Amino acid sequence: MILSLMFFDMAYWFYLITAILYIGNWIFRRDWIGSTATVMTFIALFANTMILVARTFESGHAPFSNLYESMVLFVWAMAIGYLVMEFKYKVKVVGAVVMTLAFIAMIAASKLPYRFQSIERLNPALQSIWLEIHVFTTFIGYAGFAIAFGLSIMYLVKNRMEERGAKVSLIDSFPQSSVLDELSYKCIMWGFPFLTTGIITGAYWANNAWGTYWSWDPKETWSLITWFIYAAYLHARVTRGWRGKRAAWLSIIGFLAVIFLYWGVSFVLPGLHAYA
Amino acid sequence: MEKIEKQEVKILQTIGDKIWAFFNSLKLTLTVLLSLAVVSIIGTVVEQGKPLEFYAKTYGERISSYVLTLGFHDMYHAWWFFTLLVFLAANIIVCTIDRFPQKWKASLEKRVDVAPQFIKNLGNSASFTVNTINGGDVFSVKNRVIEILKKKRYKIKNTDVSDGAAVFAWKGTAGRFGSDIVHVSLITILTGAIIGSFFGFKDYISINENETVNAPKSNFQVRLDKFWLDYYESGEIKQYNSQLTVVENGKDVLSKKIWVNEPLKYKGVWFYQSNYGMAYDRIKEARLVLKDKKKNQIIGEPFVVKWLEPFKIPGTNLAVNLAGFVSDFGFDEKTKQIYPRSPEHNNPAIQVIVYDNEKPISGPWLFLNYPEIFATIPNTNYDLIFMGYQGLQYTGLSMTKDPGTNIVWIGSIIMALGFILAFFIFNKKVWGRIQKAENGVDIYIGGMINKNKIMFEREFSEITACLKTEVTQK
Ligand code: HEM
Repeated sequence: MILSLMFFDMAYWFYLITAILYIGNWIFRRDWIGSTATVMTFIALFANTMILVARTFESGHAPFSNLYESMVLFVWAMAIGYLVMEFKYKVKVVGAVVMTLAFIAMIAASKLPYRFQSIERLNPALQSIWLEIHVFTTFIGYAGFAIAFGLSIMYLVKNRMEERGAKVSLIDSFPQSSVLDELSYKCIMWGFPFLTTGIITGAYWANNAWGTYWSWDPKETWSLITWFIYAAYLHARVTRGWRGKRAAWLSIIGFLAVIFLYWGVSFVLPGLHAYA
Repeated sequence: MEKIEKQEVKILQTIGDKIWAFFNSLKLTLTVLLSLAVVSIIGTVVEQGKPLEFYAKTYGERISSYVLTLGFHDMYHAWWFFTLLVFLAANIIVCTIDRFPQKWKASLEKRVDVAPQFIKNLGNSASFTVNTINGGDVFSVKNRVIEILKKKRYKIKNTDVSDGAAVFAWKGTAGRFGSDIVHVSLITILTGAIIGSFFGFKDYISINENETVNAPKSNFQVRLDKFWLDYYESGEIKQYNSQLTVVENGKDVLSKKIWVNEPLKYKGVWFYQSNYGMAYDRIKEARLVLKDKKKNQIIGEPFVVKWLEPFKIPGTNLAVNLAGFVSDFGFDEKTKQIYPRSPEHNNPAIQVIVYDNEKPISGPWLFLNYPEIFATIPNTNYDLIFMGYQGLQYTGLSMTKDPGTNIVWIGSIIMALGFILAFFIFNKKVWGRIQKAENGVDIYIGGMINKNKIMFEREFSEITACLKTEVTQK
């Protein structure tokens, strides 16, 4: 476990530096800060990848079997998603929000009690390829929603400024609200099918392991609640009067549901999903 | 008479229209989806499916009576939850059916010749003039436009109009139908779930090693050949395994090793490894020894007696048959019956029938935990002592049949297809119009996309940039 913990420490500090650089770029608007931030994201992502690789060798199974490992996977997917967005749409300001979220997630992972961090043997029910697909797809979905959450907050702030015609230089550097809206939609267009795939592969696995694809356990139910909220988001976007602000709120509420689904259910509600 | 009937028909029609209009609403969709999200929370806060006393104890008499009346204790089967699902289904069906024909028609329609004003009003548009001297004539400009759009993998239709030419280019039409396919898949999944809840069943069986039992509600039997555990080196349990054989009409038809995550499937019935343990009413074998009554001394070596296999004790005229076992000995004073108090092996006891020259002479019970209570065999010099036993493993299997499951998986695959169309294939349309002008050729070009506008803006500006440079430079 030494190696993966070492990489974890590295990734932790790299993500902190990355977040600070993006915030610096946002406040001071210097190109060199922005470029350094992007390079730093790659370095942090590399360390992050190495955590997963080292874990795989240390535990002998795919590194998604407990809360700690899944957090690492979540940050990993978020960083990749953000980099793709940065390269396609050239929106570095967004990095200030998204990388801060990524760093917060790293803090959360590091604060987990030891029993959630340690490498565990897979108990009999967890030994299935479907489990791995299930966790992997679910977390790509979560990462998409996390980025959309950041974008939706930025949208609401920017939209407010535009409506008031107020000039605040820090907010001026945000992309136009319509762009932020489109980008968060784009992220949910990735997140939603992946969450759905996660739910379905989870159901398939449950059907193989205990004979019902759906048993309304709290984790399942919360994943469905989250799914309903994002389905509502998708329809809000094609409904007059619900586009824009209300849709952005749905995206924020949706991500709060994700956080509860992810952390709340594990710690508060009893159920089959004692891990991730 | 006739008039009244007509009126009735009319009233029915308007009622039908009203119902249709009610369900043909995206606002209703949002209401239903968000209501489902909110009420589902209740089911994760109130524990589901507990005995009724549990709720009285947890919430107090008054609140628990509300909980029970509203069905919060079995929420996902409550009538109002079901109603929400019916609304969801009706909403999906009506919205999809209502919009589909129009969408279909619109996707087939390919209007090539549109007015310049129409092009200017599109989400993305540009217009510029090409100098005739280096830009060439209408015909060559049209061909350049077509070529550029073809390179971007658009499908193209074009026509000549009185003062020039018109071009229509499109791609990703299928993307428009992604949402319809997703909706069809949702209805499919709901159908599968309903079929499962009506025609499926769940049961549980436990089978001792080498025993064959009838599978409930089926016309075949299942035999357990062997049960065993796998361990990690550290000693933690890695896997539970059962070797099962399906027996039908007295013949073995299928044999399979199952473990958690790998069920046995036969005739639509699935058997899952669920738990395991030691049988409470029989054992594999017991270890006994003889004792000399007078000398109070063990005689010879201990011997092993197999279940229901009479055993002749060497050096004597005696034989024993291991005929009974209870894991936790209990004795009912009234009925004089012996019964197991629990399936736990807390107080294991065996009954042995003792034969003297093939004549049964006694049938004592012997206790493992009370070695001083040993059986004295009448009319002989011997006592019999119970020294140990090997239990019989059983495997616990959940058994389910759910004919709706495959429909659910088919629905899921359809849904994946729908998502690919809805979220990754975008319907783009571009109209171009090339017109002869005074000293050159006017180009109007405009386009639109059904979603993902930023991406299209980029593509559109690439197209216009190509047009501007390539056409004007020629
Ligand atoms: C109450 C039931 C529902 C109704 C009445 C409904 C209706 C609609 C309508 C009218 C559209 C727009 C069609 C279009 O633009 O072509 C749409 C889009 C869509 N619906 Fe539904 N829908 C329902 C439930 C759902 C659910 C539960 C899902 C979840 C997977 C879903 C997935 C979609 C998707 C993916 C789209 C495309 C959205 C987009 O393009 O952004 N629908 N729905």
